[in-house]
Amino acid sequence: MTESAFINITELTREFKNKTALEQITLSIQEGELFGLVGPDGAGKTTLLRILAGLLQITAGQVVAAGYDLNKEPEEIKPHIGYMAQEFSLYEKLSVVENLMFFADLYNVDVKEQEDRIQKLLSFAGLTEFKNRRAAHLSGGMQKKLALATTLLHEPPLLLLDEPTTGVDPISRREFWNILTDLHLNGTTIIVSTPYMDEADRCSRVGLMYQGELVICDSPVNIRNLLDGDLVKITTSDWQEAHTVLAPLAGVKEIQTYGEALHILVDSGKTRLPQLTRALKEHNLAVDEARTASPRMEEAFISLIRKMDQVN
Amino acid sequence: MSFRHLWAVTRKEIQHIFRDRATFILVLITPTVVLLLMTYTLAVNIEHVPLAVLDYDQSPTSRAFIQRITAGEDLDLYSQVDSIAEIEDMLIQGQVKAAVIISPGFSRDLLSLQGIDLQVIIDGTEPESGGFAVEHIGWRAEAFANEILADQFQIQGIPLESLQPIDLRVQAWFNPGLKPIIDLVPGLISIVLGFPALTVALTLAREHEHSTMEQLLVSPIKRTDLLLGKIVPYILVGLLNVMLIPIFAILWFRVPFQGNFLVFIALSAIFLFAELSMGMVIGVFMKSQSAALAMSFLVVMFPGFFLTGIFFPITAMPEIARLESLFLPGTHYAIITRGVFLTGIGLETLWPNAVMLLIIGTAFILISALFFKKRLA
Ligand SMILES: Nc1ncnc2c1ncn2[C@@H]1O[C@H](COP(=O)(O)OP(=O)(O)O)[C@@H](O)[C@H]1O
Ligand SMILES: [Mg+2]
Repeated sequence: MTESAFINITELTREFKNKTALEQITLSIQEGELFGLVGPDGAGKTTLLRILAGLLQITAGQVVAAGYDLNKEPEEIKPHIGYMAQEFSLYEKLSVVENLMFFADLYNVDVKEQEDRIQKLLSFAGLTEFKNRRAAHLSGGMQKKLALATTLLHEPPLLLLDEPTTGVDPISRREFWNILTDLHLNGTTIIVSTPYMDEADRCSRVGLMYQGELVICDSPVNIRNLLDGDLVKITTSDWQEAHTVLAPLAGVKEIQTYGEALHILVDSGKTRLPQLTRALKEHNLAVDEARTASPRMEEAFISLIRKMDQVN
Repeated sequence: MSFRHLWAVTRKEIQHIFRDRATFILVLITPTVVLLLMTYTLAVNIEHVPLAVLDYDQSPTSRAFIQRITAGEDLDLYSQVDSIAEIEDMLIQGQVKAAVIISPGFSRDLLSLQGIDLQVIIDGTEPESGGFAVEHIGWRAEAFANEILADQFQIQGIPLESLQPIDLRVQAWFNPGLKPIIDLVPGLISIVLGFPALTVALTLAREHEHSTMEQLLVSPIKRTDLLLGKIVPYILVGLLNVMLIPIFAILWFRVPFQGNFLVFIALSAIFLFAELSMGMVIGVFMKSQSAALAMSFLVVMFPGFFLTGIFFPITAMPEIARLESLFLPGTHYAIITRGVFLTGIGLETLWPNAVMLLIIGTAFILISALFFKKRLA
């Protein structure tokens, strides 16, 4: 762990009444990182972000962020972060501009600059033509962009974004990530949580959370390389039957199901693909698609989580 | 303390009040409507109040007067009696609710413009109908006197315009707890202003439910600025009520307004501060609007009815309730509204109540701030 890290989390534990939401998390994040927190619902992402935002008390451990010890100075860090809650948390009865003005006041944005900055953020978020529309009447994607814009008003050095793209259409998601990449390139430290594994690929570093623990924390490339072997994708007429047929075959390490498709982790794609398709045909299963593919983060994560579940 | 933060919250909350129909109705319409409803409910129940009349004058004028006061639906002549003892019997047996005693000089005094001296005795156990009787006898007597005198003036050739208001001396016996409608309406004002307080109790819960609270808590706003910023707008809309309601009270129910309007507004602002701070204490503890609503009824509305001396005299309460009533803003405000409306007293008499309201309000705000954490869960 480096002394100069922007955020230092040491053996952080957070307990709720009868639930340990975070267990002994140790993690440090450098200034300027675009850090992705990935994990299924209930993994503890929100709890971790809330602690970093000074919103939740720390049960045990130490968190120092942007120079503030969050055990002692949870209020002091607040002017220096931009926090976007998981749920839409702006005022539905206020217009886009009114919401921005409200938070500009709360964050003491320089009055002379306020107007200018709001205009810039509106065009940055593509909301200029909707600026007088009530927040309640914005689409999900626009609401998320407005929420992001409000967190940027005071130009915070640290952005904490909790599932900013959940429930947003794919195009808006892509736009949103383009904005995040811009901010990242401008040097803002960003921690963003997401349940979508594919989004993790756009981060400089990713932490996988599962049941309150930080399972792994590394760059996307390194995480993908954790999977030794190749991936074979097969779509058949009956995935359940196919699963039973393929699982015991030689060279098959793991099978993950994605809807109708099976993602099969094998020691070598080239040699195993023909063997697998042959086995399926022998069982009279129609093969719609069968090809090798390079493993993604998603497969790597699921594989890791499976191993964890087997240990427990 | 940051005025920028305070104003930001106040402005946002005002925008909410005027844009959210439910809130708008609750804080700006409900108080007046409830005041009208309550007053009417209490007023229409009283009709055909049986009267006893003791006529010492026995003149054509006095007989015409008796006819006049019992001509409507409101008062009925139950019996004409010859002695005060008879009146007492009838009152005790509940046959009559009030009695009118016409003095021997009634007709002479009236015609010589000396004013009429009417004594009215009412049943102290039923102050509502008693007060009603006093009020209605008063109106009838005034109309009667005006008519008789107008005739008289015309005969004597005096122009009608010079007619002076008649000084009516209506006395009510053994009725310390007298509550005519005109006394009730000012008291009710303090109850109906509980609605803005109730709304304040809901505003924090509303932010919790819409998870806007999270965004507020993560901002650098100080909690006192947040709480005050949420109280100030409701003081302002509360004051709109304070201006609207007297108009109804004065024009509709013909409640007199004897005092100084500015003093009334200023004292009302202080009352609203205390009452709304009380609502805020509830708001700090209740995380859902429904819980906050139930609690407000329990803590603000019901005590407002029972413990502030509007319906039930505080002197008749047990020690503990009397002590509690001292800490209810409504108790002090009921004294203020009655004083300002009915007797025209001002700050020279009411300042202790004003000070008490300030103390209560500040205490409640401090309690709210103490228990309001800028943290989740
Ligand atoms: N306020 C709370 N009270 C009790 N349990 C909570 C609370 N907040 C979160 N939890 C629990 O802590 C765990 C982690 O939740 P959370 O941090 O919201 O996960 P995520 O954001 O990854 O979905 C969950 O099991 C959740 O039920
Ligand atoms: Mg979450």
